Amino acid sequence: MNIIVCYKLVPDPEDVVAKPDGSISLDQAEWIISDYDLMAIEAAVQLVEANGGKVMALSVGPSQLANSKAKKDVLSRGPDELYLVVDDGLRDADTSLTARTLAAAVAKLGEFDLILTGEGSADLYFQQVGMQLGELLGLPTFNAISKVEWSGGKLAVERSLEDEVEALEVPAPAVLAVTTDINQPRLPSMKEILKAGKKPVVEWTLGDLAVQDGLAQRVEVLSVRSPKQVNRKQIRIEGKPEEAAQALIGHLSKEGVL
Amino acid sequence: MAKEMWVFAEKPALQAELLACAKTLGDAAAAVVLGNQAAVDQAFAQGADKVFWLGEKPDHLLLDDYVPTLAALLKEQKPAGMLVGATRRGKAIAGRLGAALGVTVLADVKKFIAEGDSLQVSHMVFGGAAVRLEKAVTDIMLATVSFGIVEALPPDPSRKGEVVKVAFVEPKWKAVLRERKPRPPSSVNLAAAKKVVCPGRGIAKKEDLEMIFELARLLEAEVGATRPLTEGLDWLPRERYIGVSGAFVKPDLYLGVGVSGQAQHTVGITESRVIVAINKDGEAPLFSQSDYGIVGDLYQIVPALINALKARK
Ligand SMILES: Cc1cc2nc3c(=O)[nH]c(=O)nc-3n(C[C@H](O)[C@H](O)[C@H](O)COP(=O)(O)OP(=O)(O)OC[C@H]3O[C@@H](n4cnc5c(N)ncnc54)[C@H](O)[C@@H]3O)c2cc1C
Ligand SMILES: Nc1ncnc2c1ncn2[C@@H]1O[C@H](COP(=O)(O)O)[C@@H](O)[C@H]1O
Repeated sequence: MNIIVCYKLVPDPEDVVAKPDGSISLDQAEWIISDYDLMAIEAAVQLVEANGGKVMALSVGPSQLANSKAKKDVLSRGPDELYLVVDDGLRDADTSLTARTLAAAVAKLGEFDLILTGEGSADLYFQQVGMQLGELLGLPTFNAISKVEWSGGKLAVERSLEDEVEALEVPAPAVLAVTTDINQPRLPSMKEILKAGKKPVVEWTLGDLAVQDGLAQRVEVLSVRSPKQVNRKQIRIEGKPEEAAQALIGHLSKEGVL
Repeated sequence: MAKEMWVFAEKPALQAELLACAKTLGDAAAAVVLGNQAAVDQAFAQGADKVFWLGEKPDHLLLDDYVPTLAALLKEQKPAGMLVGATRRGKAIAGRLGAALGVTVLADVKKFIAEGDSLQVSHMVFGGAAVRLEKAVTDIMLATVSFGIVEALPPDPSRKGEVVKVAFVEPKWKAVLRERKPRPPSSVNLAAAKKVVCPGRGIAKKEDLEMIFELARLLEAEVGATRPLTEGLDWLPRERYIGVSGAFVKPDLYLGVGVSGQAQHTVGITESRVIVAINKDGEAPLFSQSDYGIVGDLYQIVPALINALKARK
């Protein structure tokens, strides 16, 4: 089976710096594969290991995406081919523009049975792009997928919702967003890291694609600021466990929260 | 022209909150209701001025199968927007509707701000490290909204309103539902809890949670969790995790036990009145966001706290 897996390259959320004036700086941030997309990549690789076929990794975004370390990183995790749409017009793209760009790229990729996405991107975590992409392509589209099996041209999936797990049979091709606990992504082996440099990489720009409805954004971003900080007392309680426990209870009863 | 704000939520309690929110955003609030007559009456009691009634859902259909019906209805009626309850299914439906209609989807809105004619919203980005303010630029705005941003109105069973029946639009594709496995219902309402004890990855084994539950019983607190204990380890139901992708809590007391204090988690606790951290690592980020901190092994501190609380009773 042929699988397209969509991953996003994001500024490492741990490197986001809040400046004293409340603005946010990403200048120091390393760009990494969005955490939860590692599970989507692993799920794609496991399905192809079990059923044959190939994994095509696909990402769209600004110039950081073309960095050779970033390209090797994703390929060392098992995909066979890499497709990128690199264009600074995609910096701060909203979910609609991202999904429409992905749809245009998918149209150039040829036959596939399944598109997988992560649960949500580490920077925005809107959990939207996969759902919008599926609808744009007119394909069966589901999120919260915690298990996928392929048999006889159909997908047998489990969908983990708040109150129930649905076992569904989904016609292929389909677009599925997987949960974060669908698997434990493996670490790239030395062998895979060496192989990664030799795998095919195709790069496009927005000019190479026919993006439906053009490049206008649907959302206007007005500001991005660090949240209000509450100043806390930061009182450290020392001593043996029994003493510390007594001291804490003393403080909490004075606070009136016991 | 009167500006209608619609709501669509699979959970009645969430529908009630969304209706309260919709009433502040439009001239009229309408609910799109899937269910029986009682469900229609309930929507009016919760504050709906109008109900678009999809009828009762046959067992073999998924809520997701109503996307084409909803898309056709939105296209025809052109409300100012629709607030979709941010359950997992709700998020999928909102995304698909957004793409089907070519309109904005604002995900997980934490606050709505009406600015003259335009509507601004804020939500968290970078795992809670930043708040982003933005504006929808399409004529219909779709937003997903979770529990806890607006309080539901007191129910008024005498309220009535116009009911518009909506015909089902057959979807182009359908998944076959093979089985439904219910999860044990969780009765946690973290958003309303006055006290929360929150275990994190510092807990070594699932059995050790018993000690956390005992501490919570003595404190009359609800048990929360960090995400890894609920997803990945599966030791606790997902409804219990606190943070950017989980619940937002505002208790009088939050007690984090073996919680490191990553931004994704701590954005969910900033409105707590008193924050306490217990962690063996004195450098854990949660300490700088706490009122009281005990540096030590939770396996010694928690039993000591349990004994001290028992002695007090
Ligand atoms: C997009 C995204 C969204 C996320 N959303 C959420 C969210 O909503 N909520 C959430 O919680 N997380 C979320 N996460 C995960 C988050 O980044 C952290 O990984 C998580 O909160 C850490 O949980 P923790 O503190 O339990 O574990 P750790 O970070 O592993 O911390 C464990 C702590 O326990 C201490 N400890 C260990 N043993 C002991 C002992 N014996 N006694 C005392 N202390 C001990 C350690 O010193 C350490 O500080 C999200 C991540 C991403 C990428
Ligand atoms: N720029 C992108 N390129 C490729 N895939 C993406 C991109 N943005 C989001 N995705 C995919 O869509 C999922 C949901 O993203 P989001 O809606 O931003 O939370 C992610 O987990 C990715 O799999």
